[in-house]
Amino acid sequence: MKGLLKYLVLFAAVMLVAAACSSDDTDSGTDTTATATETTAAATETTAAATETTAAPATTAPPTEKIDIDFWVAFSDEARLGFSEDRAAEFNEKHPDYNVRVTSFASYNDVFDAAVLAVDSGEPPGLIHFFEAATRQALDAVSDDGNPIFKSVTDAVAGRTEILGEPVVLDSVVDAARNYYTVDGSFYSMPWNTSTTVMFNNMDMLNEAGITEPPATWAEVETACAAVMALADAPSGCITWPNHSWFVEQSLGQQGELLGNADNGRTGRATEVDLESEGMLAYLDWWKGLSDSGYYTYTGLQRDWDGTSNAFLAHEVAMLVYSSSDTTFFGDNADFTLEASFMPSNGDTDYVGNLIGGATIWMLDGMEAATEDGALAFLNFFSNPENAAAWHQLTGYIPITQDAVDLLEAEGWYDESPNSKVASDQLAAAKNTPASLGALLGNFVSIRDVITIAIEDILVNDLDVATRMADANAEANKSLEEYELLFGG
Amino acid sequence: MLIVGLVVAALLGPLYVWLNVERRSLQRYAIGSATAVAGAAITPLVMGSCGFAEGTTGVDHLLSLTLMWGAAWIALIALRTFFDKADGKAKESAAMAGEIRTGGYRMGWWVPWVLLSPTLLILIVFLYYPAYRTFTLSSKLAKLGAPRSVDVCFGNFTELLILNPAKLVAYPLIAIAVIYGARFWMSHSSPGTWSRKGADVASVVGMMAIFIAMYLMFSPGGGGQVDYRDVYVNTLIITVGIVAFGMIGGLAVAYLAFRKIRGGSAYRTLLIWPYAISPAVAGVLFFMIFDPTAGIFTHGMDVVFGIDVPNYRESAVLAQASIILASGWKILGYNILFYLAGLQTVSTDQIEAAVIDGASSWQRFYKIVMPALSPITFFLLVTNLVYAFFEVYATIDFMTKGAPAGKTSIAIYEIIRVGVNNGDLGRGAAQSVLLFAAVIAITLWQFRTTGSKVSYGGA
Repeated sequence: MKGLLKYLVLFAAVMLVAAACSSDDTDSGTDTTATATETTAAATETTAAATETTAAPATTAPPTEKIDIDFWVAFSDEARLGFSEDRAAEFNEKHPDYNVRVTSFASYNDVFDAAVLAVDSGEPPGLIHFFEAATRQALDAVSDDGNPIFKSVTDAVAGRTEILGEPVVLDSVVDAARNYYTVDGSFYSMPWNTSTTVMFNNMDMLNEAGITEPPATWAEVETACAAVMALADAPSGCITWPNHSWFVEQSLGQQGELLGNADNGRTGRATEVDLESEGMLAYLDWWKGLSDSGYYTYTGLQRDWDGTSNAFLAHEVAMLVYSSSDTTFFGDNADFTLEASFMPSNGDTDYVGNLIGGATIWMLDGMEAATEDGALAFLNFFSNPENAAAWHQLTGYIPITQDAVDLLEAEGWYDESPNSKVASDQLAAAKNTPASLGALLGNFVSIRDVITIAIEDILVNDLDVATRMADANAEANKSLEEYELLFGG
Repeated sequence: MLIVGLVVAALLGPLYVWLNVERRSLQRYAIGSATAVAGAAITPLVMGSCGFAEGTTGVDHLLSLTLMWGAAWIALIALRTFFDKADGKAKESAAMAGEIRTGGYRMGWWVPWVLLSPTLLILIVFLYYPAYRTFTLSSKLAKLGAPRSVDVCFGNFTELLILNPAKLVAYPLIAIAVIYGARFWMSHSSPGTWSRKGADVASVVGMMAIFIAMYLMFSPGGGGQVDYRDVYVNTLIITVGIVAFGMIGGLAVAYLAFRKIRGGSAYRTLLIWPYAISPAVAGVLFFMIFDPTAGIFTHGMDVVFGIDVPNYRESAVLAQASIILASGWKILGYNILFYLAGLQTVSTDQIEAAVIDGASSWQRFYKIVMPALSPITFFLLVTNLVYAFFEVYATIDFMTKGAPAGKTSIAIYEIIRVGVNNGDLGRGAAQSVLLFAAVIAITLWQFRTTGSKVSYGGA
């Protein structure tokens, strides 16, 4: 019996030392005395900490408790994350009852996964930043107990024109974005960063080659490239763009071709995807032709935004098809005459329209009324005319509301920087059809992956476009089929 | 089919006892049979008999039977250990364990468990439970946020394999036959003869046979199957490349740095730096060196020599070589550290004696230093393999993202691409299980082959 007691004492001592070690992490280096005293010191320290904890709520809580709203953002760069943090700070100052906290994540997928897991563990954020290709997935996502993760912003606004003093800007959102994000008649999420593909031209190089206007069609691009590559100091390539499925989808929109059935998933759930359409093959054939003749520079990486942008700024290509989101960046960093133009289209088919890309802010379901109002007020504050215009000027994403466009026009911004208007003009030129709206697909992220891998294979290994896309088509359809098994009605 | 599996297991039990247990009795045959059946029944009990359900293919049946008999075999090994102990014929390892046990907690059997409980708790929460979840997930089609998941049984595995059960059985059997044939030849030839040389070649071929058999068993893609052969080959090339470069380079640099140099200790400290760098940073560094647009090396070659360096991401060989270079460079410091420590333990007496006997520096290195370093080499081989298998994801993601067209996509990269980036949890889990099995197999094989040749010094 005595022996047992000895072991218990030993065990208790071990535990206390362990506790001492862990508490030492906070203020290390103060304990240099023998083990016995250290242990007792740690013990008293622990009790002190305990009383401190119990006392804490009484002393640190303000008289009226602030309502925390977590806003998870998928940007991590200084400019864009900084913009959201600054707006949150301004909102918190304006609305002392609320505390909007911005957390940065590395990617859209990370934000989404974290949000679903947070809902299941009972501590969800209020707002998350999620991208266009996963709209179907966001609409379909449910928590462990089967409730939808997100709530329609329109439903939550419920016809109000003002929330906590912030005017509702939902009705002023430009058509291209509104139409994209309206599903089954409901406008679910608040668009934030919205862009489209435009072409940036090194006019110095083009002029030198005798090309005075940026090429508008595929044939004109080829003519321009032949001229550029014939220059004495010809660059290593003529044109580039990232191998990202978004550019493929843009081209399908331009040619009026659908990617998914059920009108691109706009009139029902898409259950089939078509990677072998005439428009798809035409675009990829043209792309491969440019690559074969040495006009198109492939950086060798999928979704390589940095590499293509560097190649353009380093005069290694004359033209860059890119997201309008970096218009301001190129304007600031190009040491040549920069001109933005519409994304080149297939001259043999009628132009239907380019689509948007980017992301929206989704509101999580199940918040208390006061919290939800705070989140809605923040959303509308975040995209009020001044903020939306500032966001556009900072980046090149389109001004998301008509009010912001009006404001920019009144300020004379577009006369000052005409390149910034190209994206909005291109979207306005689009006919409002399912093709130019873009597809809503399940497992779209995987399907995009299938497309870019196939293109890399075609470009690097010199494969036949139609054969390789037939394989890709089978793979993409399998992926969509599986998605519908898991999520479909 | 399920019944057949169990009956075969029931027959395998006595056979195993007959072959492996010294004291045999009718009772022991019966116990052997029962144990084998119990082991074989585990997988059908956990997974249901989905592998034999209607609409399943021969490959599904094969996988089910392999799992059942594998579990039966493991149960029989446990039984054999038990019998051996009961017979007092404890083996070396068992004797060692016994020795520790006699040190004794006279307090009772539970005391060690209480003392171990913090560690065990951490292991269970962070290791065993996730591992268990990986196994259960691998038989499902599942995505985060989905209202339901679908049971696909072995579907996530069969799509990585060829769909011909006969070939799936034949290839490993042929490989095993080649290995045992080579061994037989080896034991029946005397050193120095042509026959022995032939046997040497045959034993190398035997080792390669396993890898070739696995290559043939993986699916070449098409028809809804995954092209896993590609991933397998990439993994082999890149892993072997990293380990070979890292270890040979590490030993070479350590051997050079070990000599008496002025400021040697500072120099040796600097050599270890790459190890402190994360795989992601290693990827970025080499990206900055070799990138066709912004790369220092590429630009330098162009400006100084007018050489147009090709884009490393567009050629499979260059892409794989650059991954091996970056990852091998990162682990180099670690290997140097251990080899430097190891070199200090090499007996100077032996070296001096060798010098007096007129051994050349290469002979001294080959005959004395290398064998003395063998425990460290063995340890490094295991850690380097684990590194090459599991920790190069970030390097690849920064340097090539799997380019060109998947030629640098190794097993771990593919797992993260499929399971995390595409959110396909079941497939990711299935590929993890496969990698897990591969690493276990390689480790066991290492301990059996290389491990036995390692000299830990002593008498």
